[in-house]
Amino acid sequence: MSPRQTTAAERESVDEGSNPLGLDGIEFIEYATSKPQALGQVLERMGFRPISRHRSREVLLYRQGDINVIVNAHSSGSALTEQPVINAIALRVRDAGAAYRRALERGAWAVPARVEVMELNIPAIHGAGTSRIYLVDRYQEFSIYDVDFTPIPTVDPHPPAVAGLHFFGIVQYIGNDRTEDWNEFYATLFGFQAVPDAQRFGILPKGRILQSPCHGFFLQLIEPEPGVLDIDDDECLQRIGLGAPDVPAATEALRARGVEFVAVVGDPAELRGALTRTAMGSVTFELVHNLRAA
Amino acid sequence: MSQFEGNFDDFGMDTISLAGPLEAKLAAIREAGFSQVMLAARDLVGHADGWQAAVAAVRASGLRVTGFQVLRDFEGLSGHLHEYKVDIAKSMLEMCHALDCRLLLACSSTSVHASSEADALVGDLRKLAMLAIPMNIKIAYEALSWGRTINEYPQAWDIVAQADMPNLGLGFDSFHMFATNTPLDELELIDPRKLFLVQLADFMWNEIKSVEERMATARHFRVFPGEGVHSQDLAALVLKLHQLGYRGDYSFEVFNDDYLQIPLPTVAQRARQSALWLGESVLRRSVPLPNRIRLKQRVRV
Repeated sequence: MSPRQTTAAERESVDEGSNPLGLDGIEFIEYATSKPQALGQVLERMGFRPISRHRSREVLLYRQGDINVIVNAHSSGSALTEQPVINAIALRVRDAGAAYRRALERGAWAVPARVEVMELNIPAIHGAGTSRIYLVDRYQEFSIYDVDFTPIPTVDPHPPAVAGLHFFGIVQYIGNDRTEDWNEFYATLFGFQAVPDAQRFGILPKGRILQSPCHGFFLQLIEPEPGVLDIDDDECLQRIGLGAPDVPAATEALRARGVEFVAVVGDPAELRGALTRTAMGSVTFELVHNLRAA
Repeated sequence: MSQFEGNFDDFGMDTISLAGPLEAKLAAIREAGFSQVMLAARDLVGHADGWQAAVAAVRASGLRVTGFQVLRDFEGLSGHLHEYKVDIAKSMLEMCHALDCRLLLACSSTSVHASSEADALVGDLRKLAMLAIPMNIKIAYEALSWGRTINEYPQAWDIVAQADMPNLGLGFDSFHMFATNTPLDELELIDPRKLFLVQLADFMWNEIKSVEERMATARHFRVFPGEGVHSQDLAALVLKLHQLGYRGDYSFEVFNDDYLQIPLPTVAQRARQSALWLGESVLRRSVPLPNRIRLKQRVRV
């Protein structure tokens, strides 16, 4: 028998710590749609500003505060739908190459890169449904947008956030009996940990909530209602959760910009969460009371 | 004949018991009143019009796909052999996914190039299960009776339990369990929710004397449950599994050279008799009500 090469982790069960990838929040969230202008209007009502354009594709970067949202209307093989879908999350990590290799070693699927000349090759793995998870390590001195995007002239590249909005998390719809599977996926590949069932945020307390190892954001996994016939097992990233230090002030500011809300529960003065009315058949944002340490 | 006659919705046939093109096999299985079929990768890749055409034929048949088989010799390899097997596993997962099939069968390695260390086997099965998660596929790990390191189900259970992945469980093949004379008492130690598939087959000899004879029997001389000399053992196994709480699928894993040269409906009728015997005489079920619907949470994991 030939000797098997063992890694240090296999021999000594080296503790990689609770944040093995040096995860440090969400760099961007990407929507895909064949109606980028309509989605742009929805985003602008939410306080986002178009900042820059991709050099080679029909892709636009929107920003407010440190929330980056990319609108991708570049049809690359798969047909785009009018209804926007969240087709990617980009996670900030210490070393994108190392994080990518570590994920593949543990059973992630690589997404083949389609890079044009002089563009960055951002490693990605497959996530829920048709979505992908990008791994980004250029977010401090340099940014990925410096290379792949051209700034829109005269636009402030750092527009302030409306009412202190910041990324809070992502809601993922999953199939029946799939909570443990996805929990394991995010725990093994990235070091996410489930929060106790008693701990809930916002207004929709269903499902399982996973906290990122950087403690910077959350993933919420939601199965179909029990008792529903076993048909709909589609899985997707469903909506973005935005943190707000003062939810009543944030809803007021957004209402003034033309955003409508549904499911505003409880005393308006002590609002802990709110959900925007669905736009374009699929786009909704959840506001969650959150005082960010930063 | 009505498909509502008999109560054997959880019993299915395997395409390996039948000769001919895929469409003819599916039709014969359906005609005999079965609602599900176990498919092999070569049913797809050997299709004259390509594997996507095979997927379309399976969808058109209305049969549910019990599982997809079989990933061989996956665990315990290192270096380029491991990379190669990961690629094979990915291809099989992609076909399984295209079929809307939720189960891939992986049998224990026979390779002399594979490690025997539990840590290596556990790590590889964890990786296989992780590859299957985004596609909503479960992995059923089966102890092949001539597996090099893992050849009895209690060993397979140890590995599965150590790997501790929600979508990794056991697959049983009664032939291999009987061939090694593994006591059924050991079943008490297994979590029935982690048993993802049970394959059943009988055979004609009372005793198998060598590994060579075991392999020959397994590949050419199996018969449907109730047709061989181990019917009472099969009945005991099915009752035991039922008593332990297993409510998943049973598939007839019958490799038989004779069955490959008689008409498909004749073979399918033999399978039907076997399913009726297990469903009604062994498990003593009543005939189901018509238009029964199956709700979420069927006790499966």
